[in-house]
Amino acid sequence: MDLITQSLVIGLSEYAPLVLAAIGFALLYRLTGLINVAYAETITLGAYFGVWANTSFGLDFYAVLIPAGLLAGLVSVGTYLLIFRPAKHRSVGALEMIIISFGLSLFLRYGLQLVFGYPVRFFEVPPPDTVWVLGVGVASYRIIGVASVAVLALLLYWFIQRSRWGLQIRALASDEDLAQVSGIRPLVVTMLIWFIAGVAGGLAGAFFGVASSVAPLLGWRQFLPILLIVLVGGAWGIGGVIVVGVATGIGLAAMTLQTGQVLYAQLLLIVAFLVILKWRGRRLTESAKV
Amino acid sequence: MNLDWLNAFLISGLFEVVVVIGLALLLHLELGLARIANFGVVGFWGVGMYAYGVLYVQVDWPFGDPWQFLVCLALATLAAGVAGLLVGWFIADLDLDGVLVGTLGFATAVAIVATTEQDWTGGALGLGGLRFPFDLDSVKSEELVWLLITAAVVAAILFVVWRVHRSPYGRSLIALGANEPLARSLGKPTFRSKIWLFALASAGMGFIGAFYGIMVRFLELSNLGVEITLAAMVGLVLGGSARVWGGVVGVLLTVGLFDIVIQSYLPLPRDWYTQTIPVMREVVFGATLIVVLLFRPLGILGDMRRDKLMRKLHGE
Repeated sequence: MDLITQSLVIGLSEYAPLVLAAIGFALLYRLTGLINVAYAETITLGAYFGVWANTSFGLDFYAVLIPAGLLAGLVSVGTYLLIFRPAKHRSVGALEMIIISFGLSLFLRYGLQLVFGYPVRFFEVPPPDTVWVLGVGVASYRIIGVASVAVLALLLYWFIQRSRWGLQIRALASDEDLAQVSGIRPLVVTMLIWFIAGVAGGLAGAFFGVASSVAPLLGWRQFLPILLIVLVGGAWGIGGVIVVGVATGIGLAAMTLQTGQVLYAQLLLIVAFLVILKWRGRRLTESAKV
Repeated sequence: MNLDWLNAFLISGLFEVVVVIGLALLLHLELGLARIANFGVVGFWGVGMYAYGVLYVQVDWPFGDPWQFLVCLALATLAAGVAGLLVGWFIADLDLDGVLVGTLGFATAVAIVATTEQDWTGGALGLGGLRFPFDLDSVKSEELVWLLITAAVVAAILFVVWRVHRSPYGRSLIALGANEPLARSLGKPTFRSKIWLFALASAGMGFIGAFYGIMVRFLELSNLGVEITLAAMVGLVLGGSARVWGGVVGVLLTVGLFDIVIQSYLPLPRDWYTQTIPVMREVVFGATLIVVLLFRPLGILGDMRRDKLMRKLHGE
């Protein structure tokens, strides 16, 4: 029983940002069908923008979420306009698109070191209070993180499933030509989706960063779990991504508690997801796109 | 032999270029011919490097070099080949996204195992105790000879790749890459071809990884970063992924520029070499991938000769 409650509390509190990042990535994937490897750096940049706003302007952690999310969203739109849109107009193939995003990922990961410096950075925030949840001590930032991620995830879910813009986004994802003749402006809607995905990634990065440290590999370390969550959960839409993301967090916490080593938990997770992927075959990834 | 004229940086730079050319040639078979993007090159190279290191250092062999070297090298190559067989089986019937997940997941799994199995691999502390399988009068002579042996191995790989291009198996891989369902409908064993391709190319990457481990003589987790995959990929894409010589030309222009020209010949401030140059190298490599694929996707050498000929024949 202890293991279950501990896994639930630790899994939800520690891996909530992973769910938020996965939702952002899933939006991009569903719209474009592109595996954007550089999304890892959107997460990293969110953390760097957050720590920059925090240490340069003395903003507290909750205030830095605004510039972190907005700037990461703008960078995301910028990469679309400068790289992925021209690539699409040049009819670059799907394989080459992934390689381009791989190149962009490394360009941004190392480029940000030239801008923000080489040392690992830390948020200058007061030590968090400990909140006891079901007998498990959790840092107050993580509680706020879970609540924020839950609200943001619901907002995004509502936005995509219920709002007029969300309807346009889904229409564009299903059939771009038909959406265009129906009066939807693809450029505006596509920029919107890249912005939302960037904001989600940037906020996730800030939450990851405040919980530990801000380093160039912060986003890359989360990329494979995000990719696996989206490929497996995306078959059931954004709701599926949220459910699989939450289950992944709880599962990782349970396996870490059992094995005493977070890396073993990650290894088991990778193997489990790869088995599912192999079992489902091509249908899985195809259904996650539309 | 007096080797005072030879700069140690030059030897390590040339060795890096030779190793990456070898990896780019093997990646060419996967990416250039069969159109399978292997993002886990570092995983297979890491299996070879660490398998060799663990076998050589941790196992008490009843015989010494050169037999110890040869047995460990054969087993390390076999380990990488078996890993390639498994990954190949996994990705053979998946699409692009599945290939990305499979190869990236494999590379991550290798890094995790190398980190956690400290008793065998040394984990974050690293694994020492590797040495050249011969004794010469100085370390510099040994490194130079090892560089020449590695260059001969890579030249052999180049010859094999060149032969594959002109073989029925090579044509089958090209057909598979161009249109897999069509190739399958014409009776080509696409599933089997992919699995064997991955097994053989991965064995080659592991073989090169073992050679690298011997040269550096101390295995660290930093050797398992994505940078080696990037170096091979950017070299291949820049030179021309469809051409045998593409990887050679591209790696000379990228890794050669940074690891030989800048490292050995440019009069830059000394402290730049520890952080700024390595970071700039990856920035430039990332940007090169983007620019080449946007503006010249076939790279410097362009399309395969047979495709050029076909276009000429059809008046295109």
